[in-house]
Amino acid sequence: MNSLKWIKVLLVFIVCFILQTTVAEWIQLFGASPDIVVIMIVSIAIKFGPAAGCFWGFFAGFTQDVYGPAEWLGANTISMTVLGFLVGQLEERFLTLNLPMKLGVLGFGFFVCDMVYFFLTGLEKDVVTNLFFSKTLPECAYTLFVAAIYFHLSIGKKKKVHV
Amino acid sequence: MLRAFRFIVGLFSQKHGIVAFAFFLLLGILMRQAPEATQKSVISAALASVFYPAQMVISSVDEFRSVAHENEMLKEENARLRQETYYASEALQELARLHALVRFDDKWDYPIVTARVVGHNPGRFLTTLVINRGTSRGVKEDMPVFSMNGLVGKVSKATLTHSRVQLLVDPNLKLSVLERRTRVVGFLESVDGRTLSAMIPTHAGVKVGDTLITSGLGGIFPKGIPVGTVTQVRPSDLEVMQLMDVMPFQEFSSLEEVFVMGKEPEWVVQELLDE
Repeated sequence: MNSLKWIKVLLVFIVCFILQTTVAEWIQLFGASPDIVVIMIVSIAIKFGPAAGCFWGFFAGFTQDVYGPAEWLGANTISMTVLGFLVGQLEERFLTLNLPMKLGVLGFGFFVCDMVYFFLTGLEKDVVTNLFFSKTLPECAYTLFVAAIYFHLSIGKKKKVHV
Repeated sequence: MLRAFRFIVGLFSQKHGIVAFAFFLLLGILMRQAPEATQKSVISAALASVFYPAQMVISSVDEFRSVAHENEMLKEENARLRQETYYASEALQELARLHALVRFDDKWDYPIVTARVVGHNPGRFLTTLVINRGTSRGVKEDMPVFSMNGLVGKVSKATLTHSRVQLLVDPNLKLSVLERRTRVVGFLESVDGRTLSAMIPTHAGVKVGDTLITSGLGGIFPKGIPVGTVTQVRPSDLEVMQLMDVMPFQEFSSLEEVFVMGKEPEWVVQELLDE
């Protein structure tokens, strides 16, 4: 990543957080809102690799932790860092992912991220089960839907640039 | 500076990002394991420095949204208040009408029956009306009928549920009137079924614009009901009397509701006058 790309990603990062705290709340469906930050981390990690994925995952997780309960500080940071690193292994410099593949990676990342988070917060098994069905699954589905639109548009744009 | 940054990025990117992952993971674990006081100070330091501009942006976006929401609510409230104002104004008008009616009622101390006009006579001239109150509601023949503006006529025929009202412009209705300013009595009639004319002694000096009210003579109409204003004064065949055109206070073609005064005719007065 050169310095211009860093600035670009920083701007995208800020925009994503603003969207997450405003628009994502407005477009809630049955209490579930899309996780725009996860989409952003996955996109960055796929595009720029595990190091960038780790960095932005760490930064995004830390941002979420800062606004969360103090005693859970670090939970989001670690889970997002793990997400960025794992997804970053599928860096597009080495292989090209089509839309279903990207969505699969996102879904897997979302699941892993939440599981790590639940593990780190030390929630009880019953609570985790309840949260998994009432929060993780619906939000994952909604996030995949929003991501499908985003990835479709970005892939289309890329093809246009190649032409 | 940029070189150092690139060096660190390069270092972190080595071995498929494992170095970076290990570093950030370690930082995360340190934060997770830190004492609560340290965690709180980390959070407050971050909020006061790095995240302060972001907070400003997010709160201004939220503020914009809340202003839009508030605007929407105010619009709804405005529409509701407009509707309520309209209803209040309607109620005030009704109240004024009822107040006027109460004054009428107090003045003469007769029961009042409110009636709706349900028919006009089908002829070319409007001389009678049909109202939806009859003997079942206490309406009887020869009872005075008036509106908010003034005298309308008298009941000429009463059935159980409906009554016919003889208007002032009916040529068969003649009544005694009093000029309010001069207190001189005359009589009012309609010769052509359209206009009203009054005969009043010349010495009274009645002028255009003077007001005529019922005199209370004759036994049918009580004293003091407004009848109309003098619009023209003409000499009559009799030198001692003046003929004048009268504009009634009530336009008969636009009547929708009237009041029947529950006053029965005092035929004794009429008989004594006749004698």
